[in-house]
Amino acid sequence: MIGTFGNSSLIIALLLNFYLLFSYSLNFFKKKNNFQKVRYLNFLVTVFVFLAFILLLWSFAISDFSNTAVYQNSHSQKPLFYKISGSWGNHEGSMVLFILILAIFSSLFSFSGVRDNLKYLTIFFQNILILFFLIFLIFTSNPFDVIRPTPAEGLGLNPILQDPLLSIHPPFLYVGYVGFSIIFSFALAGLYLEEFTKLWSKQASLWIVIAWTFLTVGIGLGSIWAYYELGWGGFWFWDPVENASLVPWLASTALLHSNITSMKTEKFFSWTALLAILTFTTSLLGTFLVRSGILNSVHAFANDPDRGLYILAVIMIISFFAFLIFILKFPKSPMPNVLIFWSRGSFILINNCFMIFFLVVVMVGTLYPIFLDALFEKSISVGPNYYNALLAPFMIVLLWFMAHGPLLEWYKFNKQSLIKAILQISFLTLVSSIIIFFYLKDFSLLLFLGVFFSIYLIIAVIIDVFKQKIISKNLARNISHFGFGILVFSIFINAYLSKEINVPIKVGQTIKQNAIEIQFKNILKSQGKNFEEIIGNFLIKDGTRAFELSPSLRKYLQPVQVTSETSIKSTLFGDYYLAINLSEFEGDKIMIRFYHKPLMLWIWISISLIIFGGLIRIFRKQNES
Amino acid sequence: MFSKSVQNRLKLFSVVGIIVLILVLFIQIQLSKNIVYFYSPKDIKQIQNLPKDKIRLGGIVKERSLKKIENDYSFILTDRSNDITVSYKGILPSLFVEGKSAVIEGSLKDKNFFIADTILAKHDENYMPPEVANALKKNTK
Repeated sequence: MIGTFGNSSLIIALLLNFYLLFSYSLNFFKKKNNFQKVRYLNFLVTVFVFLAFILLLWSFAISDFSNTAVYQNSHSQKPLFYKISGSWGNHEGSMVLFILILAIFSSLFSFSGVRDNLKYLTIFFQNILILFFLIFLIFTSNPFDVIRPTPAEGLGLNPILQDPLLSIHPPFLYVGYVGFSIIFSFALAGLYLEEFTKLWSKQASLWIVIAWTFLTVGIGLGSIWAYYELGWGGFWFWDPVENASLVPWLASTALLHSNITSMKTEKFFSWTALLAILTFTTSLLGTFLVRSGILNSVHAFANDPDRGLYILAVIMIISFFAFLIFILKFPKSPMPNVLIFWSRGSFILINNCFMIFFLVVVMVGTLYPIFLDALFEKSISVGPNYYNALLAPFMIVLLWFMAHGPLLEWYKFNKQSLIKAILQISFLTLVSSIIIFFYLKDFSLLLFLGVFFSIYLIIAVIIDVFKQKIISKNLARNISHFGFGILVFSIFINAYLSKEINVPIKVGQTIKQNAIEIQFKNILKSQGKNFEEIIGNFLIKDGTRAFELSPSLRKYLQPVQVTSETSIKSTLFGDYYLAINLSEFEGDKIMIRFYHKPLMLWIWISISLIIFGGLIRIFRKQNES
Repeated sequence: MFSKSVQNRLKLFSVVGIIVLILVLFIQIQLSKNIVYFYSPKDIKQIQNLPKDKIRLGGIVKERSLKKIENDYSFILTDRSNDITVSYKGILPSLFVEGKSAVIEGSLKDKNFFIADTILAKHDENYMPPEVANALKKNTK
């Protein structure tokens, strides 16, 4: 029953979408400016997609196993929260969410203050995107397919996906990915009508920050999940799926900055337009990689090659037409093409180039194995060292430009104040670095450079804040940049100074390594709602600090799977991280994996600061000056 | 020969071109340094020159082949017709089970003996890495 309603609302949405495209085209060719109908149709499309989404949630909530998607991804014994979140944890459901966000952004955009012609051309382009994906959804991955006879029980959801953070991270990631669709459509409309100007940049900036902030939240949540759920002590594994979200983030961060430059200096419009197109295209590419099943990852659940091919074709068509419009309607800057090198604009441009370089590095690392496999049937994998070796040295240079960019002016260059700033910041940075390395008692050149330049950025931001007459001025930028400085600092310290202990241990036994003492106190059994659990209780001592950690192993019953639940004690200086493993060869011993991860908490804090900066920019309409 | 603006543009293009070339070179060098090739047990039996670098090997852990000798584990990785004995020092992940698929990283000693330094297991029990599935398929063909 629900399935029929769901299917109907999707088809109604598709028909309305057709009608909208037709009605707009008619308007367009008759050169009429009557957009009321398009406006209402646009809302109606959103309403019906929303209805379909709610019906799908409902099917999952009541465990309606006559629905194929529910049968394959749910189970009646699962907690309600995971039943509902399971609806977007699978391919079909996530595509409904994808389209819903496309439609919601389209509706929201109709409230923006953009001139009617430009606004409705944007909505027209957005609805073309909706058309492509609705067809894809209905014909290749319908979420309301029915199984007959109705099975009595579902197959269950992969237990490592049963986690609160993981359940909420896809919606954030999707709002980010798909949020860039409206900027993409707006950019195409702006290019087409030759209105890619200062006003365009101004009107686009809020939408860019919204999508960027959501994307950052999504990536952050995903990486926190990877940290405590996968049990390998890391927060970023250069997994292709993680890379698929990092690539649009790099593109959008470049876009965010170049758009500010376009707004302020009326230059680089073509670059900004190109980045707007690139950001959404890479978001789509990410979706394709994750959904096509060609990636070897927990996320890749689609195993139907048709789906991958269709999305690939859609990406090709969309990007082909986007680049065609871009080339035919290449935006021109009204300003003379003179550039002062020592200005904020050119520093932003330089860092834009770094972002694009990072993007290329990550893309090559992710796509090269896929191409090699497709063309020569050779399986390879690219090690994390590839990324670290290429990104770390350039990150250091980027930090320097990032520190000085905001301290420079847009139009004029004051040599004295630059030299003064360099000396001032370098001195303070050197002093703090020496103090830090005195405590670390560990030295390597790259670690030193990483620490030095991240502190350099942090100090530059602090100086910048004090130089403002009102502290709240440029607050969004300063908080995000401050967060970024802390992020790089923590990542460097974390990468170089993490410690690991891997040993078998018996109940009652104590293990000592350097300053750390691990005592295995006892082992308990317990019963969860849909799993059995063995919990180990450990007493950890580090110097004068003593605390308990209780990692466990869970055996999920549907589907049968064992997961290792980590136990983590976070402190300001570092995390103590413990996971256990059973091994039939160790008799009464249990294998433990213990990590000491310095400044782990600060990685999460700094990502929150970056996000917080984005939020400030969204809610306070003050611009960069 | 050229006007001033053309000269400037040429300068800019050549500088950008050189920088791009250097960066591409960087990427190329790092890529070739950090690539790990994947082999199936059948591939190993067929190749003439054994790879000296670190490689990945994927297959099924043969039933009743897992043994522990002092601190070393030893087991047989198979594609159901070609067997390779693997020795491993370290901790076995809980997802490492006899009769299920596994991907290991390490180096070959000879055609029948592999020294693993990592066992890659991030996935659930029913999941089979595509490389392993391919390797098994190749063998049945």
